[in-house]
Amino acid sequence: MISPETNDSTEHHPEKVNVRILRQDGPGQPSYWERHQVPYEENMNVISVLQRIAAQSATADGRDVSPVSWDCGCLEEVCGSCTMVINGQVRQSCSALVDRLLEEEPSEIELKPMSKFPVIRDLMVDRSRLFRGLERVKAWVPVDSYYDMGAGPRQARSDQEEAYPLSQCMSCGCCLEACPQYQKVEIYRRPGETDEQFEARKNEAYDEAFLGAAPISQAVLFNSHPTGKNAKDERMEALTGPGGIQACGNAQNCVAVCPKEIPLTKSIGKAGRAATVHSIKKLFDR
Amino acid sequence: MSQSPTDFFTKHEFLIRRLHSLSGLIPVGAYMTVHLLVNSSLLNGPGAFQKNVNQIHSLGSALPLVEWLFIFLPIIFHAVIGIWIIRTGKSNHDNYRYVANWRYTLQRWTGVIAVLFIFFHVFHLHGWFHTDWWLKNVAEPFGMAQFRPYNAASTLAIALQGIVWPVFYFVGIVSCVFHFANGVWTMGITWGLWISPEAQKKASLVCAAGGVFLTVVGLSALFAAMSTDAQAAREIEDKMYEAAVETGELVDNPHKRSEEEIEAETEAEDELDDTTRRALEAAASN
Amino acid sequence: MANKRVVVVGGGLAGLAATMKLCEQGTPVDLISLTPVKRSHSVCAQGGINSCNDQTRQLGDSEWKHFDDTVYGGDFLQHQAPVKEMAFWAPKVIDLMDRLGVTFNRTQEGFLDRRRFGGTLYKRTAFAGATTGQQLLYALDEQVRRWESQGMVRKFEFWDFLSPILDDSGRCVGAVAQDMVSMQIRSFPADSVIVASGGCGLIYGRSTMSVFCNGSVASRCMNAGAKYANAEFIQVHPTAIPGSDKLRLMSESARGEGGRVWVPRTPQDSRPPRSIPESERYYFLEERYPEYGNLVPRDIATREIFNICVNEGLSVESGRMCVYLDLTHIERKELDRKLGGILEIYEKFQGVDPRDVPMKIFPAVHYSMGGLWVGYNKSSDGGLAAADPTNQMTNIPGLYAIGECDYQYHGANRLGANSLLSCIFSGLFTGPCVSSYMNSQSGSAAELPAELFQGAVAAEEKRHAGLLSNQGGENPYLIHQELGDVMTRAATVVRDNTQLDQAYEKVHDLHNRAMSSSLTDTGAWTNQNVIFTKSLQDMFPIAKAILKGARMRDECRGAHYKPEFEMPSLKSEDPTARRKEASEWCDAFEEKNRKFLKSSIASLEGMHPEITYEDVDTGSIPPRPRLYGLVGADAIEEEWKNRTEKQAVATA
Repeated sequence: MISPETNDSTEHHPEKVNVRILRQDGPGQPSYWERHQVPYEENMNVISVLQRIAAQSATADGRDVSPVSWDCGCLEEVCGSCTMVINGQVRQSCSALVDRLLEEEPSEIELKPMSKFPVIRDLMVDRSRLFRGLERVKAWVPVDSYYDMGAGPRQARSDQEEAYPLSQCMSCGCCLEACPQYQKVEIYRRPGETDEQFEARKNEAYDEAFLGAAPISQAVLFNSHPTGKNAKDERMEALTGPGGIQACGNAQNCVAVCPKEIPLTKSIGKAGRAATVHSIKKLFDR
Repeated sequence: MSQSPTDFFTKHEFLIRRLHSLSGLIPVGAYMTVHLLVNSSLLNGPGAFQKNVNQIHSLGSALPLVEWLFIFLPIIFHAVIGIWIIRTGKSNHDNYRYVANWRYTLQRWTGVIAVLFIFFHVFHLHGWFHTDWWLKNVAEPFGMAQFRPYNAASTLAIALQGIVWPVFYFVGIVSCVFHFANGVWTMGITWGLWISPEAQKKASLVCAAGGVFLTVVGLSALFAAMSTDAQAAREIEDKMYEAAVETGELVDNPHKRSEEEIEAETEAEDELDDTTRRALEAAASN
Repeated sequence: MANKRVVVVGGGLAGLAATMKLCEQGTPVDLISLTPVKRSHSVCAQGGINSCNDQTRQLGDSEWKHFDDTVYGGDFLQHQAPVKEMAFWAPKVIDLMDRLGVTFNRTQEGFLDRRRFGGTLYKRTAFAGATTGQQLLYALDEQVRRWESQGMVRKFEFWDFLSPILDDSGRCVGAVAQDMVSMQIRSFPADSVIVASGGCGLIYGRSTMSVFCNGSVASRCMNAGAKYANAEFIQVHPTAIPGSDKLRLMSESARGEGGRVWVPRTPQDSRPPRSIPESERYYFLEERYPEYGNLVPRDIATREIFNICVNEGLSVESGRMCVYLDLTHIERKELDRKLGGILEIYEKFQGVDPRDVPMKIFPAVHYSMGGLWVGYNKSSDGGLAAADPTNQMTNIPGLYAIGECDYQYHGANRLGANSLLSCIFSGLFTGPCVSSYMNSQSGSAAELPAELFQGAVAAEEKRHAGLLSNQGGENPYLIHQELGDVMTRAATVVRDNTQLDQAYEKVHDLHNRAMSSSLTDTGAWTNQNVIFTKSLQDMFPIAKAILKGARMRDECRGAHYKPEFEMPSLKSEDPTARRKEASEWCDAFEEKNRKFLKSSIASLEGMHPEITYEDVDTGSIPPRPRLYGLVGADAIEEEWKNRTEKQAVATA
């Protein structure tokens, strides 16, 4: 760790930062590389690089281009918006500091959209499948009402400490991008299709595809909640249904790339055990 | 409503994958372990080995049924589903160079190697089918179906002459053992036996130890076979054969003996060039 | 409620709470948000959520005291009925969030753990590590997803609200919004529209807020005639990590858990902070406010830090301004359990472990206390009348505002851990109010003539096309930078009339330039350039309301501080003279309240906001000097006490 006081490394910094961006004008269109250059500043992150690029709207060789599209929100790694593939690895662009990236690869920074989700434009992708996954596993506590019914169930501190890391999942999609078992599902809109029809067709395709680590971990989180576990059987049906936990190949990239260091493989192990019990019970109970 | 094959797979993916996982341990992995242990009894000489083989073949006419039901079909099932599983994934160890991710990729590579290895290994020694037509017109013309159970060590030694087959068996054994050991580790996660990262780490040590043990066992059998003196072994085997038939322990079966071949092979051995001979002798003296 | 629909704009805590409450009552909701609702800015809230609770109650706390602390902290600028209602709902809100599965930290015995926050002496704050906002938001997001799966909610994420639709009678009957992906503009007929669009920090360029907190929704409502109140009250959070793209919040909970703010007594002492002995450290907050210490309200802490760096020249570094926020005396394990989230942020972005080395922090724009003006109906007990349609309704019938984008709960300064409360409370509370309103209206918006909606869409399409073809040559991104610089200089911690006048002129000039922006992207697919330019143009009405409101308010109140009009501190050492000074001080204080204890109300006239004033209902808790036990100010407190006692006797 380099503290901000140690400024001796600044002299090694380049005056300009070279950036190579994989752009795409829209869904189904060809992608192409574009080179940009921005002046180096101290403590820059990829977001500020992209902000400079948006403001100058010209490539490194001075050609006028439209600003690069990308998604961002909180800029402090809690909203999960700004995920992209930076120097070959998926991560949040807000916490990707330029100095670190230049240590990895001094000549340039390479930015690509996530490959497992349909590209909307440039670095922006459609991650609705992830949220659909949360719906599939019923990632919520099924309460009766929102009226005042007193406090929730008392919980041991150790239970809270197990649950809290899982509930920090910000649906950024890093675990899915890095997962060799998670494949892109891209549905193109048919001419004349209404929003609802398109949405329904998309969801149908999503519902057969692999859930991936994040929703599995959420299912585990809610199965462990004193009230949430009332919907455990339904969640286990989803986890053992099409695209369920069985598709996991135990490459364990999910846990390695998770920016929040969520114990995803532990969740997968727990879900595996629950699935074993659930399916055996089902076999003999029916 | 008629179901397309993909529908069937998608719908029953969980069950199929769990059966696949299970079949890797029981019977396939368990069989492999026994197989390698039996083979390694060759270290105690052709007689010890022949005794074990005789024991297996004491099943007599039920043996093919047992072979197909508990060995070949499970292996074919494991292989077919395995290849289907490989096709659902896309390795990405180039960008995500984590140990577990390498193992994910290796598991797939060794799986493919194992499929090819087992196919040719069974063809090479067993011949797959023991009908006259098949043996005469297919297996034997290709130099396959080399193993004769009532002359176990000697036929094995002859079958392993040269450099190609030993290398083939070396690669095959190492791949199968890795695939098995790593498979047991992922299986433990899949079924929920080891869940926490600590538990998974311990389990991986246990699996690695098991893998090293099986590799030693498997390779020692290979070296034992390569260093067996076929002629000397043949004499022991013949004695044992006669005794066994006399006591009714074995049923006479010409397919399982190698009267003519042994001479033919001895002649062939004379034609070996000096280098190979020296190498074989060196191996034998070890 | 047959055929009635509600549009909710914004999917943060307030918007989601309102959505789920409406769904529970059977009203379907169209939820429009700039971002997937799970990524809303509420995730950035760190420290916790306040309520009186079983532990504090036994130490003398009560809902009333929470109410009092909130009003005192807000320098009495709030109407008190909504604040009272909120304080009394607070325990219920936390109970509900607990039931929804929020992973609140627990005590050993399994109860909710609490910590202390600024502006109170009680441990009222429930928390989930240092990511409480995220945890609360996720719980509501999950509930809304549950309703979505039942078809009660349609989400329109990556959609930009463009304007409310008003019918001939001036009622709000829907909204126009634009798909930020396909750029399609369409209308959403609705029997009521609830705006829950959060704050407007982007006007300051860099702040602790997320990139979507640009205030454009509120501004677009202003453009349709809605009033905007108390714009000049912008909270500057005392502790943030400076950064080139954003100023990242370092939660008040760091101080709530024992963090201490200090500077070396020697200016720019170059020794490593931990080797500076206690005697050479200046714990200026603790020394000046012995009672509250590091947990004085934010406006005070911010001014003190600013003062230490700017006026006393004691900034830790010479090149930039910052002070130490020190947690190194607290056990690592304890820190990880209670503050892990924020310490990781510091570590990631600064490359230093704050468990070992004191953090370097400086104030940053954080929250807008002001917002869309909304009404309320006071109940006989001084709270709000439940399910009354006027609660949280803007001056446009059928248009509601809740959460940070309303002005109601925090007055001149918000207390830490009250924003999560006000957002969830206003969301939950407004649901039934909106239902009552819709019940009182005959027919439904869906039955209104199509021309009304087509006309509204056409107007927005015209604006959009105009922007695409505009060739004014101005770069919207650079104008935004300039706007941020002007606003940060003129309208943050210290305000000065000359500077405010100049800033207003400059901002007006930028406004004109922004109107002639040229786009580098004129495409019709995911054109972020045009969406940004629209939001930039719409930042100006609020920016101007902030400047003008600040210019006209010649006093100091909460976050609004003008040294020129500061109440003088007592100078005399002689007790009699000092009592006299205190008496004069109190006279001046009463005079100032007569003049300025009023909400400023901005309404848009063309390109400029017009400002009027509205009296504040202080019926439950009479205003009193806000001193927080400042050393040397006891004479004032004593004098004020005598006065109120005399008044009480006189009235009795």
